[in-house]
Amino acid sequence: MMFIEYTWLVPLIPAICFLIVGFFGNMFDKRHGGGFLAIAGVAVSCVLSVLISAEFFMSSAYVDVGYVAKSFTWFAFPGGFDINIGYYVDTLSCLMMMFASFISMLILIYSLGYMSEEGKRKQRYFAEVALFVTGMLGLAVSNNFLMMFIFWEVMGLCSYLLIGFWSFSHPEGDDASDNAASAAKKAFLVTRLGDVSLMAGLFILLFAFKSLDYTVVFDAASIAAVDHNLIVLASLLIFGGAIGKSAQFPLLDWLPDAMAGPTTVSALIHAATMVKAGVYLVARCFPIFTEASGVMLFVAVIGGFTAFFAATMAMNNMNIKKVLAYSTLSQLGYMFLALGAGGYMIAIGMESGNTALIAAGSVGYVAGCLHMVNHAFFKALLFLGSGSVIHSTGTEDMREMGGLESKMKVTSITMLIGSLSIAGFPFFAGFWSKDLILEQVLHAGDYGAAGWVFIVLWLLAVVTAFMTAFYMFRMWYMTFRGPMHKKSEHSHGESPRSMTIPLMVLSVFAFGFGFVLFFGFDSLLSIQIIGGQFRMGGMESGGAHYLVEFFTNVWTYVTIALVLLAIYLAKNMYELGKIDPARFNGDGESWLYKALTERWWFPQLYDQLSWKLGYGVARGVEFIDSNIIDGSVNGLSNAVAGSGELVSKAQTGDVNNYASAVIGGLIVLFVAVVALFVFMGGL
Amino acid sequence: MDASVITNIFGDFSAMAPMIVMILGVLLMPALYFTTKNRVVVTAAMLAFTAVSAIVNLILLLGGYNGDYLGLFEYDAFSGLMILLFQIVALLIGLVTASSTEVTRLHYGAFMSLLMAATVGMMFVATATDLVVIFVGVELASISSYILVSMKRNDPRAAEAAVKYVIIGGMSTALTVYGISMLYGVVGVTNLAAIADAMQTQGFTWAFAIAMITMIAGYGFKIASVPFHMWAPDVYEGASTPVSAFLAVGSKKMGLIVFFKIFLVMFVAGTTVSTFATAEMQYLFAIIAAITMTVGNIVAIAQTNIKRMLAYSSIAQAGYILIVMAVMSEYALVGGIFHMFTHVFMKGGAFLIVGALICVGIGERISDYRGLAKRAPFLAFAMLLFLFSLAGIPPLAGFTSKFVLFSAAIYGDGGATSQWVWLAFLAILNSAISLYYYARVVKAMYIEKGESAERIAVPLPFLIAIAICVVAVIVLGVYPQAILGPAADAAAALFSLV
Repeated sequence: MMFIEYTWLVPLIPAICFLIVGFFGNMFDKRHGGGFLAIAGVAVSCVLSVLISAEFFMSSAYVDVGYVAKSFTWFAFPGGFDINIGYYVDTLSCLMMMFASFISMLILIYSLGYMSEEGKRKQRYFAEVALFVTGMLGLAVSNNFLMMFIFWEVMGLCSYLLIGFWSFSHPEGDDASDNAASAAKKAFLVTRLGDVSLMAGLFILLFAFKSLDYTVVFDAASIAAVDHNLIVLASLLIFGGAIGKSAQFPLLDWLPDAMAGPTTVSALIHAATMVKAGVYLVARCFPIFTEASGVMLFVAVIGGFTAFFAATMAMNNMNIKKVLAYSTLSQLGYMFLALGAGGYMIAIGMESGNTALIAAGSVGYVAGCLHMVNHAFFKALLFLGSGSVIHSTGTEDMREMGGLESKMKVTSITMLIGSLSIAGFPFFAGFWSKDLILEQVLHAGDYGAAGWVFIVLWLLAVVTAFMTAFYMFRMWYMTFRGPMHKKSEHSHGESPRSMTIPLMVLSVFAFGFGFVLFFGFDSLLSIQIIGGQFRMGGMESGGAHYLVEFFTNVWTYVTIALVLLAIYLAKNMYELGKIDPARFNGDGESWLYKALTERWWFPQLYDQLSWKLGYGVARGVEFIDSNIIDGSVNGLSNAVAGSGELVSKAQTGDVNNYASAVIGGLIVLFVAVVALFVFMGGL
Repeated sequence: MDASVITNIFGDFSAMAPMIVMILGVLLMPALYFTTKNRVVVTAAMLAFTAVSAIVNLILLLGGYNGDYLGLFEYDAFSGLMILLFQIVALLIGLVTASSTEVTRLHYGAFMSLLMAATVGMMFVATATDLVVIFVGVELASISSYILVSMKRNDPRAAEAAVKYVIIGGMSTALTVYGISMLYGVVGVTNLAAIADAMQTQGFTWAFAIAMITMIAGYGFKIASVPFHMWAPDVYEGASTPVSAFLAVGSKKMGLIVFFKIFLVMFVAGTTVSTFATAEMQYLFAIIAAITMTVGNIVAIAQTNIKRMLAYSSIAQAGYILIVMAVMSEYALVGGIFHMFTHVFMKGGAFLIVGALICVGIGERISDYRGLAKRAPFLAFAMLLFLFSLAGIPPLAGFTSKFVLFSAAIYGDGGATSQWVWLAFLAILNSAISLYYYARVVKAMYIEKGESAERIAVPLPFLIAIAICVVAVIVLGVYPQAILGPAADAAAALFSLV
């Protein structure tokens, strides 16, 4: 155990970088505000993650129990249990550590070029990103739910600060900076709704298991000893946290708004950190989630619906970053759909003791996790690519781009690779994971009373695959092909080397990461259940097994045909101009088109709910509080004395007024006590 | 350290030693100001007396001293820890008062004397084992605070607030006296343990219920629990900010201690008697806690004045601590004590920042805080920490103490109970609501543009006090054991009164 003992360093190194860069960044590195230190720190974490993972896979612990955990008492609860801190290394945390640190490192390198004009504020930027990475890596290595929750919140706080980064002075003016401010607040508050649910879930777990350690909560024996209904309740509440963090329906509205931050931050949030935390949480909690097939069905329904719903909104958006944001929502939905479908089969298999079904279900887990990593690569690539385009043209509106291919060779090719990957073009990374997901969902439809739901979800998922290919290539053709627009003509051309090299590295992974399935690495993404005990890391099924499954399945060819059709349509509509998009949307007048641009009226609904309703209730309660409880004479005295805050306040000091309040309170208390006695049968 | 150092000096009076030191200070302050006319000297003397008193208290506390005086005062782990809390409050407030432009300069000696006298009153309550002593202590603290509220420069709001405070205080006193006398009529004793004993033999009667309800109402004013809260925002807004801080973090804690000492002890003792209505009273307190936290948080959303917002948030925080009264377990009491300590630093720190900014001409409206992060990075950051701690964002102290407190609601002494799970959930939900109005201040400070970008320099004493609070909010968050151990001893000591 040479490296695993030092797992705690993985989040600690970026944390130290955060402190040093945050306080002294501009002092020792004037040009980059301490950016190099932040990159070095994350790079060390990345190398360490790889070493830890390699050591872990070769260790006997991997074969024997499936994890290495170490914990120290953080504080002893008076209730007779301890809250610990420590690390927990298994295949899932290894996976998270490696891809999160690697992609964050590339994003930081890219930031050197992208943020080069930010001057002194780079110090703040790099410090906050380092803290963000700390949050994600800490979350990945935590050994209990409370510690995980703390890092979870740290990430929430960082996202608030980073999305609002341009709120003081946005390069695009005051409107944009106000926009950044409200987007930051929205992200913080909406994800907080999910956090409330998660926190409540943790309390239920604490109540049921008397511990929050993974080793206790995920142990088959302790699960068996706990009331089944409590676990179901806890699972649903914890999934509420994932819904908030991963922006699933109905808490999905904050993510598109979060585009107000710098593009690199979007890449970080969408690819390597933040939204992946929700997927991680569900994957992590498989041992308790699979206690009830209904919970997993719920996960799948939320995921499947979000995948479809978000994809519709990407169809006609003109903002390059927003299209990518909706596609993130949609792809996250795919991940939850895969985990839900797999978990559903495992849950049914565990109930009926069908080991073959459990093994089949674990493929759903593989699909979800593989798609999470694939998505990390291609979404980071696409965001960074769009950042390169924005950097060069100075606009985010795709109507003002066009024909950029000749000016930005590297960007256009790497983004093409990313688009092919996300669209599920054969042999690109996204193809393997997406196809595995579709297959799993269809497979899940054969089992249990709720099987038909999965058939519906499968249909939605196939339609989503078509839409994904269409809107991604709509984006690509609008940006890089077609007629050149003014902003494109004046673009600065290709971005600097620090920006293009990360793009090239990412495009290699966006193309090739899917092949890990065929080199035995699928066991790293899998789970197995031995004697009712969950274990991360599964049996190797080998490449041939997957190849046969893919290419003997007729639906695989149907999906490929749909993807090709979508690309063909997009080409004709946006490059060649043979088909006029207006034919489908009635020149932007059809109700569907309006619904999509208005995001199905979701933002308005939220505003009504949060602002009008929330603030209205607050004002109402305050009115009752200050005018009825605090004395009914207030309004009268205001009317008589005219105006003036002082006058009205002085009137509130009326002795009669206070006396009535006191007596009123006393009467309320008496009534409450009498009611309690009557109700509870005391005395 | 060995407590004999103190007991050798104070002899029979050892149980009152920290208070005796403070009382000397109370007497000396006006004379000192009259002779020197120097506010720095008076401040130094006040801090010195309070610090000596704190050292005496710490020696007794760490030495594990236990002793009583005339059966009226008893020093134990609980009273020692609570005395420490009041001393911390007095030190923080005493430190900044001289440099605050809001506090009157005319009667500075009297101000300091009254500040110490109010602290002594609170310390009385912390050590009292007799209803009469509790009553006297509460009155000493209250009457001193009425005057403190009025001692503000050039602001008619202060006089108005003081008058309101006096009237409300007088009424709550009247209710309390009524309750105490009725209780005395029923049981014939005023010692808390003796009352608990008598109640166990007599059982629960209507006379006893009426006495309890009037006392709950009377002391409900002190902690500003709904529906006895309406004075708090007016008074906090009207008083000078250091005094508001003192009332929010000091006075309120005194009221909570009264709740713990009288009601908690009595009803827990009563659980051995089947006719005793402990279960009903638990529900009563649960309802009060639920309504108090919800009303406090919801009304806080509508506030535009930051002092009023903090006042409503204090009401909500008292609601959280009242969970202890519903759960009535030792574990919950540990959480309550822990939260009382963290509340001192986060709410106290927030008020101190407001006070410091008033000194440099920044108003009390939340909109006045726009762009503060550029003008005063440290103050803005400290404010962010305090507000997020109040909202319960990890890893700050407010999160950890809320976690202990709320988890007590689902995990009693005897193991997991589902009775109060709803209360824990409501409290979590309330924490989420509270983030909404705290985030508004943070947004104003960090995200909105201010009219001026000039740097601000606030008086040094304020910076020191705020820095102490920042350190405490972080340390108690990541190393809660520092307070959880003593708090567990304190809770055990209070429960041993039964």
